[in-house]
Parts: sequence; structure tokens; C-alpha cells
Amino acid sequence: MQIPRKITYAPCRNTLLMLAGMMVLLCSCQDDEVCEEVTANDLRIGFYMDGADDDSWMAVDSLRVYTLERPGQPVHEHLVSVSVMELPLNPAADSCSFVIDFYDLADTIRIVYSRETHLISVECGFTMFFDIKETSHSTNHIVQMHQSVSYVTNTLDEHIKVFLPDTIAGDQ
Amino acid sequence: MNILRFFFLIPLLAISKQLYAGNDTLLYTPSVRFGVDVSGFARQMVEPETFTLEASIDAEWRENHFAVLEAGMLSVDMEKETHRYQANGYFLRIGHDFNILGRKPENPNDLVLLSVRYGFSSIAHEAPFVEIHDPYWGNYHTFLPSEQYRAHWLEAGVGLKTELWRNIFIGWSLRGRLLLTTTKNTEMEPYYIGGFGKSNGPASLSLLYHFSYRIPLLY
Repeated sequence: MQIPRKITYAPCRNTLLMLAGMMVLLCSCQDDEVCEEVTANDLRIGFYMDGADDDSWMAVDSLRVYTLERPGQPVHEHLVSVSVMELPLNPAADSCSFVIDFYDLADTIRIVYSRETHLISVECGFTMFFDIKETSHSTNHIVQMHQSVSYVTNTLDEHIKVFLPDTIAGDQ
Repeated sequence: MNILRFFFLIPLLAISKQLYAGNDTLLYTPSVRFGVDVSGFARQMVEPETFTLEASIDAEWRENHFAVLEAGMLSVDMEKETHRYQANGYFLRIGHDFNILGRKPENPNDLVLLSVRYGFSSIAHEAPFVEIHDPYWGNYHTFLPSEQYRAHWLEAGVGLKTELWRNIFIGWSLRGRLLLTTTKNTEMEPYYIGGFGKSNGPASLSLLYHFSYRIPLLY
């Protein structure tokens, strides 16, 4: 049989330590409203020499890039010795077309994708991720085009490889 | 790191004390304790957009062994220049506490607890206003309709409880959590999972502060 015992208040030595710890932790909290994450989700295109044995980039001299949707507003102009370039996909549409003007001939590449609105953080807000569904291109200079990564996010992946003839290579 | 050292030292000291002092089983009285977690109020001071309210009930079904049920609600209303995010939901945790301190005649109501829990959370969240800024294409406005999100996790922790005044207890508990499963293929990941914490990854760490009232079951 259990003997009930009168319960008395016994001050605990740990109470003060516990309350002190509570204060320290509360004071250590800070509300930093600074966005420190990458929020741009550009399509990354690398230029490669068609038929080359190695998988290294080639530099293209002199480029101008604009979209068919906004031809008067170039994305890039007078790019020199470029081997990788970033192109902004339209967050308000499911496809967009870029014209890459090599200053003698131009090629058009068309990207079809699905969109996914993504919450980055409370400080940075939302951004748009893209999932490439289909690509196509003209063949004035571009020999072929390979899709290497389909998910366009805020990482530094190269999404599309564009293969060009060696006649178009600029200064390395 | 000093703070963490402080929190881990107390249970270690308690364990070493227990090795040199036997337990007094006559001090045990079956009891039920009701509590509230006040860390949600403290968090709201630094994160005004997030509010959690949590209550708990534990029963000492065997000396130094407590069956525990914790339940709470979550509310997030975050409005910024470029977006608004809202979430509402509830969470449950069920588990067990073990008092490693044992019963001491001088402090029969001090507890140093090792805890294990299984947790579940369900939230409905939406983004009624989203502006995505793009330097080339301009600003794009959209919204994300309400969707349901569920998460299951396991947690383990250590904590203290001490009697402040007749059957009124105060204490803290440090909990580490590991996500087991969540809803897949969601339009957006939640900003905060009720009962788990910020959804920055599969693990989280948090500190709970609770006040509780014990009802001794004398017979």
C-alpha cells in the first residue's frame, strides 16, 4: 500500500539557472530581414565546338541576343569571347524564343517549359523554377543542341549545350 | 556553444548525483499534469508573422515514467512588399518521458527528463499574392491557392521540470527532430511546420518552455 506524502514546496537550485538560460536564448534571437540567397533562375547555355574530342567550352566572339517577344530590347549586346551565357525565361508564359545574332547570321532557339512558383524564404519571397519540356533551334550556325539539365533553379547548372562549327570560334 | 554546454551539463550533473543517492519510492504519487508551452509567445516577439500555441498532458503511470500527449495550433500570416503567405494548422505529439533524476527527499518534484516523441502536423497554406521580379520581363503577379500539407517526424530531447509553487511546475525542453515523411508534389514548401519548426531541411532543433499544473491522484 502506498503512503501518501504531504507535498511541500522545495526551491530548486536549477530554477535560476533555467530562467537565466531562457533570457540568454531570447536575447540571442534576431530578426534579420536580409535576403542572402540567389533568386535569379536563368537558363544557362554553354557553347561547344562540334566534332571536338574534348568537352571543353569554346569562346564565341561577338554576340547579340534578343527575344522574339521583345525584339527591340536585347538581353545581351556586344558579348565578346563568351562561352557560357545566361538567358531569362519568361515567368508569365510557358515558352519563349531567343535569337542569337552572331553578327553575320542569326539562329533562333525556342524553349518550352512548365513553371513552378517556389517560396525561397520569408526574406527573399517567391521565385519561379522552370522545367524544360522541349527545345528546338534553327541551323544557320547551330549544328546541334543538347539538353543536359532540365530543371532551371537558382543553382549554377548548365542546362543546354549548343554545338557550333569551329569557324565561329573567337579568341580563346 | 556555451549555451549548449550549459544545457547539456545540467542533465549530466543530475545523472552523476543519482549514482550516489538512492531513490525513495515512497515519494511517488501517481499524477496527471496539464501544461502550456510559452515559447510560442516568445517566438512571436522576434517572428511576429508566426504564432504557435501548445498544450500538453502527461500522466506518471509508473514511477519516473510519464506518458505524454502534446497538441497545438499554428498560424502564419506574413505580408511583405512582394508576397503574402498564410498558413493554419494543428499538430500532435505523442510519446514518453523518463525522469533520470529519480525521487529525492529534499526535492521530490524536480525532474530531469529524457523524451521521445512521434509527431504529426497538418497545415493548409496559400499565397494569395505573389510578385516575381524579373529585370528583363518585368514583374509577374500570381497566387498559389490553398493546399494541404502533412508531415510526420520523430523527436528526442532532454529537459527539466521543477516545482515553482504547490503543484505548479516550470521547465524547459530541448528537442531534436527528424522528418520521416511529408506531402509530396506540393506547389510550395511550407514556411513553418507546426510542432516541427522551420522547414529548412529534414532536421530541426528547438527549445520549449512550459508551465504546468499537476493534479496528484491520491487514493
